[in-house]
Amino acid sequence: MTPLVFLYTAAAAWVAAALVGLLTARLPAGLLACCVLSALGGAAAAAGGGWSLVYGDTPVVSPGGPTVVGGPLQLQATSLAGVFTTLLGVVAVAIACYAPRYHPPSQGTSLYLAAYNGALLACLAVLAAGGMVTFLVAWETMSLACYLLILRHLRAEPVARGAFWFLALSEAGFLLVVAAFVILSSKTGFTTLAGIAAHAGSVPGGWRAAAFLLALAGFGFKAGLVPLHVWLPEAHPVAPADGSAFLSGVVVKLGIYGITLFAFRLAPPAGTWPGLVTMGAGAVTAAIGILYAMAERDIKRFLAFSTIENAGIIVTAFGAAMIFHAYRLQALWAFLLIAGIYHVANHGCYKTLLFLEAGVTEHATGTRDMDRLGGLIHRLPRSAVIAFAGTLGIAALPPLNGFVSEWLIFQGLFQGFRTGSHLTGILIVLAAGTLGLTGGLAIYAFVRGFGIPYLGMPRTRPAAAASEKGQPIVGPGLLAVACVALAVGAPIVLAALARAVRTVTGVTLGPLLLPGKLTVIPAHADFSAFSPTYLAVFLVCALAVPGLIYLAGRPRARSVSVPVWDGGMVSFRPRMQYSSMTFSAPTRVTFDALYRPSVSVTRPSDDDPAGRSGPVHYETQVTPVFQRYLYRPLVRCLEWLADLVRPIQSGDVNLYLLYVFAVILLAYFLGAV
Amino acid sequence: MTPEELRETVARQFGRSLHIRTLDTGSCAVCEQEIRLLAAPHYDLNRLGFFFTPAPRHADLLLVTGPMIRAFAPAARKTYEAMPGPKIVVATGACALGGVYPSDPFTHGTVEAVLPVDVWIPGCPPSPLALLHGLGVAVGRLAERVRDLPFTAPDHPERTRGDS
Amino acid sequence: MTQWFLRGIRRGVVTTRYPARADKSARFLPTPPAFRPNTLTRQGADRLAAVCPSGALRREDSALIYDVGRCTACGRCAAEAPAAVTSSGEFELAVTVRSVLIKRIPLQGEPR
Repeated sequence: MTPLVFLYTAAAAWVAAALVGLLTARLPAGLLACCVLSALGGAAAAAGGGWSLVYGDTPVVSPGGPTVVGGPLQLQATSLAGVFTTLLGVVAVAIACYAPRYHPPSQGTSLYLAAYNGALLACLAVLAAGGMVTFLVAWETMSLACYLLILRHLRAEPVARGAFWFLALSEAGFLLVVAAFVILSSKTGFTTLAGIAAHAGSVPGGWRAAAFLLALAGFGFKAGLVPLHVWLPEAHPVAPADGSAFLSGVVVKLGIYGITLFAFRLAPPAGTWPGLVTMGAGAVTAAIGILYAMAERDIKRFLAFSTIENAGIIVTAFGAAMIFHAYRLQALWAFLLIAGIYHVANHGCYKTLLFLEAGVTEHATGTRDMDRLGGLIHRLPRSAVIAFAGTLGIAALPPLNGFVSEWLIFQGLFQGFRTGSHLTGILIVLAAGTLGLTGGLAIYAFVRGFGIPYLGMPRTRPAAAASEKGQPIVGPGLLAVACVALAVGAPIVLAALARAVRTVTGVTLGPLLLPGKLTVIPAHADFSAFSPTYLAVFLVCALAVPGLIYLAGRPRARSVSVPVWDGGMVSFRPRMQYSSMTFSAPTRVTFDALYRPSVSVTRPSDDDPAGRSGPVHYETQVTPVFQRYLYRPLVRCLEWLADLVRPIQSGDVNLYLLYVFAVILLAYFLGAV
Repeated sequence: MTPEELRETVARQFGRSLHIRTLDTGSCAVCEQEIRLLAAPHYDLNRLGFFFTPAPRHADLLLVTGPMIRAFAPAARKTYEAMPGPKIVVATGACALGGVYPSDPFTHGTVEAVLPVDVWIPGCPPSPLALLHGLGVAVGRLAERVRDLPFTAPDHPERTRGDS
Repeated sequence: MTQWFLRGIRRGVVTTRYPARADKSARFLPTPPAFRPNTLTRQGADRLAAVCPSGALRREDSALIYDVGRCTACGRCAAEAPAAVTSSGEFELAVTVRSVLIKRIPLQGEPR
């Protein structure tokens, strides 16, 4: 039984879910039915992905033969795509458990659910695509479906703008991806991905490099590489929470899947410099992503920038893998590929979880602004625990999954000295250093991202009145369990990934990755070793031991409970707490060359600078450097070009007839020649 | 615990390492200057094992100055309660002992009205030597001497002017 | 830095040895007064009680009640009755019982 059977089941379930959603989601029962079908599809997709990790690549099939409109539908379930498919399935199940309690049954919801299930189907088609045309059609369908997703609450103005950024950049990326595919397929003469991969030798080195760069940029738009990331912070806040979760958890990963295809499977470019470029792009993306995240008050924009950071980390790992391949260090090549894909799976789990929890917070309190929240750990206790699990994961703290995958990536990068080239070694070390900076800033950012809304005292009345009644728990809870499972079961996951990567790289990494039952080593036994399972067990015990000592030797004296020491002040007000911007102030001051903050202060009158006669208004904004210095000039340039060409469109029918005549003459002459 | 046992415990626990938290309940700050001089090289209270700490949670001894103005009483109470036991309260300076502002309507007049005081150190301001002696008494390292002092002086050798 | 170091070496240790050994500068400290009982009369005691700004002195029958704790060593009582008041020279005045600081000075001499 090939994995394709599971994928067909998933596709059928999602088609059914889309139809059911479209027709009946106005009623609660219909909404529930749609979500159940979506969950079934997710389970089937997860099963299919997991099975294809073990099974290997299936052959390319063309269901329906060559008669499908636009070209043959070519499907192939590959091991490499298996991880991404599993992630897609798990995310779909989690969101399906979350959606009934998040969306009210209405007309808007039915259209939304139809678009969402269509997007799920399109993502599955991208991952299962065996041929170029199928891939591109599925990719474009996915972009359009996600555009509709983002437009759920169309009436507000920022929604239209966010969705427009998404669509515009998706289309720009699509053009580049089409160009890359066309180069490869025209040079090899095949349109199936397997065919291109098998005949990659007939693509000359220069064309390979061109195709790779086009693919890096094109898929980089989707993956969120800087400076192509601009749609992420615009689109994520305005989409509904599960839509944002889906975008960050799956769609961004599809961009990364595309990069993996061109970097490892289809026609890997020769030489060191493609790997260096990729690694550099990834490192810069990671650093810039987390730096911008530090300056955000809106929880969803903050999480969007964190997605950019993680995409950067993954792409850095892939770039380093390509460099090791260029130096014939195949074990490290495969190892970093595994590490990168593992990070994809981990990030998918905890980022989706965090976005879903952001949605819960938004529903419970009515605001996404961190500075209006506070003390939610008392009001939304179970959501807070789940969000904490996600925060631990994304901050890469042991024993959770983020720590394991980042450890693997760092261990791979630290072995850059094995390349033997000084320059490359230094560049790899620089990338590792940038990732280290990113990791530290990520912990800082997520202490802020969890501490300000959840801990402390509520800063506003809606935050104090938040309640957990009717909020979805099972969906995010499933993802939290997945995070823990990915961490504790890391050896199993890594074994499966090693098998998947073997189909792409041909390197058997089993004994070089998992020598003992539960230990992981980074491809070389003399470098380091680590056991995630033992670490998890050890940490739990280490936390339990002081507890047991305390219980056993409890002090005999009577204990008194007194209030928290607050400096002796007579009353402690919520406004005395850290705000999100003061907490991140040290970073913003250090990196102000990047943020270029603009400050405006307005006073009631210049004679009274202390503001005694009225309030003083202070506002600071981070300058959007990419929009202002990259995109706006580009758009202006395009507008200028369009203005140049406008005279052709004079509106005069006679002129248009002249054009027709001129073109016919030209065609005649060309045909004659 | 009997007073002797308590004294012994205090001497054993704090005799060589004592953390002091100062509290100004409204003084003129000259007592604070003398207390600050204790950390200077000439008197150097660290050599005796005494240390200043700003956090009451880490403090063993609360050194209170000032006449305990009414507005400060709740904060003083909170500071005292934030200290974990065993703890010692030392009131120092004439204000804290009931002089200077005994009947001012805005003060309690004496620290004893709000906090349970264990050791009193008179002076206005108490010199650093007096403070060192008081801290030594508080931890049981030095002996009290005032009990045996009559504060009387022998008569003037010439008794020509018996006037007062 | 070198100057500081050399100056320090020349000066030697300036830290006092108190409480292990007496401090040489202690004799310059301002200290609470001591009273001469044979020179104090009832009226004298009343005058001293009136002039003390801190309320440390109070006459009760034939004794002057002197609260050492309240004394600020301001010197007004010494200025009022120089023959009856002198400096006690005592600075080690810490107590664990407050009432120990309240001294009873017997009065003598005929009222004038």
